[in-house]
Amino acid sequence: MIKKFIHQFASPKTYLKQVDRAYSYIFFTSLSIYLIAIFWGLFLTPEDFVQGHSYRIIYLHVPASFISQSLYLGMAFASAIFLIWKVKLSAYLVRSIAPIGAMTTFIALVSGSIWGIPTWGTWWAWDARIISTLILFIMYLGLISLHDSFTNNEKADKFLAILVLVGSVNIPIIKMSVEWWSTLHQSASITITQKPAIDPSMLYPLFASAIGFTGLVVCLVILSSKFHILDRERNKSWVKDYV
Amino acid sequence: MFNFAFSSMSEAILMESQNGQNHGIYVWSVFLIVFGALILTFIIYKNKIRNLSKKIK
Repeated sequence: MIKKFIHQFASPKTYLKQVDRAYSYIFFTSLSIYLIAIFWGLFLTPEDFVQGHSYRIIYLHVPASFISQSLYLGMAFASAIFLIWKVKLSAYLVRSIAPIGAMTTFIALVSGSIWGIPTWGTWWAWDARIISTLILFIMYLGLISLHDSFTNNEKADKFLAILVLVGSVNIPIIKMSVEWWSTLHQSASITITQKPAIDPSMLYPLFASAIGFTGLVVCLVILSSKFHILDRERNKSWVKDYV
Repeated sequence: MFNFAFSSMSEAILMESQNGQNHGIYVWSVFLIVFGALILTFIIYKNKIRNLSKKIK
């Protein structure tokens, strides 16, 4: 029954129809939230007592870092669905999310490095959080290269899904790296179980920037998935009607 | 909460902190990288979809 339900509602054609309808709303709402949040964070929040104005990078770095890991979890979830129920759309989504994940991880790494110069006195340290994030970036690039190296797309989807699931072990390592090892990177300021260590005047724009950035990344995933679906299904009659 | 942290545009660009360091160079570099990457990715995918649609037609 679940299989029938998933196959009925997760056909590439239905998916494209749904996301086309939602795209503009998500895009303009997220863009507005993100621009307001960045303006709020860069101009309206007070200077940090310890880090000075450099802490304002938090509004750009943290959403990217959060999304880079969330996208991988999304890929792992889609991979599991593909392997269990053989849903084609899930395989397309796994391949579509990978380049967007690589882009957000790149932003997280570069923005973190730049933030490190005024706060740590160095742009790079062989520290557990940074290395595990670098591994995530390499994994994204490796998964894209691996998929594109196959001539048989079905085989490529299967290999990719298995590798994504194996690689998902890196996500808890990234998350817990600051607790398990002594690192230059500070431990989490916002947790589910404890009160945030950030003042509300700095915290609210951070939440807003994370929401706005997430929405924009969702739009990028929609565009990327649209491209991959059209590319893979180009010989189907509905695609010709669609374009 | 909604007071401007800077009194002029040049102050906002330089972002001179209490320790005397100008942090504007770091903050604005990251700002440009993030917005540049986002805009570029949107443009790339829009173009890819447009070119593919033309091919399929």
